[in-house]
Amino acid sequence: MRSVRLPHRARSASVALAVVLSLVSAACSDKSTTATKATATTAAAANPNAELKVGFTEDQYVLNGPEASLAEYPLNANVIETLATMSPDYEVVPALAESWTLVPPNTWRFKLRQGVKFHDGTPLDAAAVKAGLFDRLAKMDGGSSLKAGPASAVVVDPSTIDFTPTVPNLRVPEQMVHPQYGVIAPGSDIGKKPVGTGPFRFVEYVPKERIVVDRNPDYWGPRAKVAKITFRFYPDASTRRLALESGEIDAAYEIPRDDVAGLKSKGFTIKNSSVGAYDALLVNQHGKQGFDILSDASVRQAVALGIDRKKLVTNVLDGLATTDQTIVAPNSLKPYTSTITGFPFDQAKAKSMLDAAGWVPGSDGIRAKGGKKLHLVLVSGFPAAEILRPIPAFVQSQLKEIGIDVAITERPDSDSYGAVMDAGDGDLFLEQGNQNDANPGFLPILLFYTGPGSGDPFSYQKLFGPGGKFDETLAPALTEANADTVRKIVANAMHQFVDVDVAAIPLAGVFRIYGLRKGVEGFVPHPAFLHVRWDTVSVSS
Amino acid sequence: MSAFVLRRLLLVVPTVFMISVLTFVLSNLTPGDPAFAVASRRHGRPASHAEVVAVRHELGLDRAALPRYLHWAGGALRGDLGKSYSTQAPVRQELFRRVPHTLQLALPAMLLAMLLAIPAGVLAAMRRNRPVDQVMRVLSMAGACMPSFWLALLLIILFSVRLHLLPVAGRGGLDHLVLPVVTLAMAPAAILTRFTRSAMLEALGSSYVLTARAKGLNERRVVAKHALRNAVVPVVTSIGVNFGILLAGATVIETIFVWPGVGSLLVGAIQQRDYPTIEAFVLYAGVLFALLNLIVDVSYAFIDPRITAGSSV
Repeated sequence: MRSVRLPHRARSASVALAVVLSLVSAACSDKSTTATKATATTAAAANPNAELKVGFTEDQYVLNGPEASLAEYPLNANVIETLATMSPDYEVVPALAESWTLVPPNTWRFKLRQGVKFHDGTPLDAAAVKAGLFDRLAKMDGGSSLKAGPASAVVVDPSTIDFTPTVPNLRVPEQMVHPQYGVIAPGSDIGKKPVGTGPFRFVEYVPKERIVVDRNPDYWGPRAKVAKITFRFYPDASTRRLALESGEIDAAYEIPRDDVAGLKSKGFTIKNSSVGAYDALLVNQHGKQGFDILSDASVRQAVALGIDRKKLVTNVLDGLATTDQTIVAPNSLKPYTSTITGFPFDQAKAKSMLDAAGWVPGSDGIRAKGGKKLHLVLVSGFPAAEILRPIPAFVQSQLKEIGIDVAITERPDSDSYGAVMDAGDGDLFLEQGNQNDANPGFLPILLFYTGPGSGDPFSYQKLFGPGGKFDETLAPALTEANADTVRKIVANAMHQFVDVDVAAIPLAGVFRIYGLRKGVEGFVPHPAFLHVRWDTVSVSS
Repeated sequence: MSAFVLRRLLLVVPTVFMISVLTFVLSNLTPGDPAFAVASRRHGRPASHAEVVAVRHELGLDRAALPRYLHWAGGALRGDLGKSYSTQAPVRQELFRRVPHTLQLALPAMLLAMLLAIPAGVLAAMRRNRPVDQVMRVLSMAGACMPSFWLALLLIILFSVRLHLLPVAGRGGLDHLVLPVVTLAMAPAAILTRFTRSAMLEALGSSYVLTARAKGLNERRVVAKHALRNAVVPVVTSIGVNFGILLAGATVIETIFVWPGVGSLLVGAIQQRDYPTIEAFVLYAGVLFALLNLIVDVSYAFIDPRITAGSSV
């Protein structure tokens, strides 16, 4: 066909190629313009009228019903406060309550702080706490974990309130620190306009986009150092990191491990908390046929001995974790944390244990016994498989060296992971768990305890609950009033769970990682992001 | 024409009904227990058996599948799409709140795609096998194959982080629209370019174009009045399909750019096993595609008088 010359000049292939290449190279070049600008702000004074912009993950506020949680959970916007709070060391610290005592057998008496007002000017007193906390909890599912009933709260006097859970619960102060148990102003609607006593007041909420709070000028404690905070939601971790790099936000929660070195090199500050979460393999020791290899204690021990945790932490987790071998936050068990010893890395011992158990290496290096290969299925997916990568591949390569073949099954989210667990279709279940309150026994009792008072067993208990000595050791924690004694009991129970029964193989204690631009000062990283405080943070312009 | 339109509108009902049944069945077959998901989220840790049972009862998930579907379908016919399992807010309210946000991206993205693609496709056809045609084909292939999330992040790095010209994410002024719209427009622009080129090549090779040239008409008139008019029918079909895809929400783009449209609503609903929201989305998308197809079919009659609406149905 005859070509026709048009009035417009056509672009040449080289121009098009040059455009594409320059786009890619500009994006990939490692300029530090942001760091240069960031560095220039270091010396500037803190600005008390500044606005702080913080990037959070996904907006998961519940807006209706008794479980409404706007500004409270999972993003704690420091609007609503609890009677007690939890320090970064997992200590229970007075907040709206100055003190509390147990009135046996099951009543907790809270003495309230004086001179505190809600953001609408009404005073905080016992009647307000009854209406704005305990009566609200009583309407939740099962009265919430605190087990509040309609008649649980009794006003003793304007500054004293009694709370009697519907079932014996001697851990109320440790649980009370959870932001879900905040005190809201009576009559206020926490799903629309939360009114609390916190250092910040609710200003605006745009679903899935942002929540804005401003400084409470009448706060009972030290005034916040910034005038306003805008919390923006960034479900995608890459976008959140780029927002920090571009200056769109000043601080960010949950910086992925892979991004830490890059941000540091660009002049951003990375703050790690103490260990607040764990990566662990839960061991299916009660498996159905096909998943029953780990019912043999010596195989479980060999698996625990065959994993080099130091290498995992240094090479795989970039040093952003510890080799703690506990699935309860170490600081929450102080001073009894060292009761749990864990397993050293000892391939020779692992191999000899497997030899003694009759698992003989085959020609492919994989052990077999009675014609059956030593093959384990590792299921990864809590809270999501992508967060846990590449730990499964690391475990797989480590166990191969001692003659264990591991097949990896990944699940994209906790629900599909839970479905595999319900079906019992795995030998090892890789999870990242965390602790959001100060009760060290809460998760072990909830997930693994099968003794008296445990209720109907569900999948965690069925697959991983060792029973026997573990239950016997842990049971007193259910009725022990003294918090220090509970820590000791739980530490002993976890020693049984991890060191003796090998019901779990902890791999690493994980930090919470926060990113800040230069000029953001006073931030205290908390191992549980629910408890992060922003009133101590200052910003220079 | 009216009978054809009415017939097609009536067909929407059984079509959407079948889609909703299929979605309901598939959702319920998906691994994972929404009651466990909801209970665990409420408590911030794996829920106990008792807590899951309580939530299952609260959400009505302890009923059999058929009564649950009929309950939902009955409500949908009255305009009640149920409550979200995760936020407890009415699904209809959330869905309708987000549709305009998706439109804010979809409309300019489609217009941009058409503005880029149609001239590019015509030019490529006019300069068949010449350098400009080869460049257009490479670019359109790249645009069609390029993962949108990768392009999105690349544009953010260049224009937001390096050059500080545009915001990273979120809604706001016109500058907030640029990156998501450009990213969204790339794939449909690439596809439309190829469609337009193919259709134009066919039209330019036809006998009536040869006749028009033989009669001495200038080339611009030959292309615009004769060839393009005949080439546009398949292009309109492609525009309809792509626009429907954009209106159904670009899940990845909306997540990356924190754009609260229907796409990000669907992503969240799937992750949280929020069946009422998933069903509502499917209903919305089903009706949308059905109506768009109808509009495209009716438009044929206006574009090409040889086509009678309904004659090819």
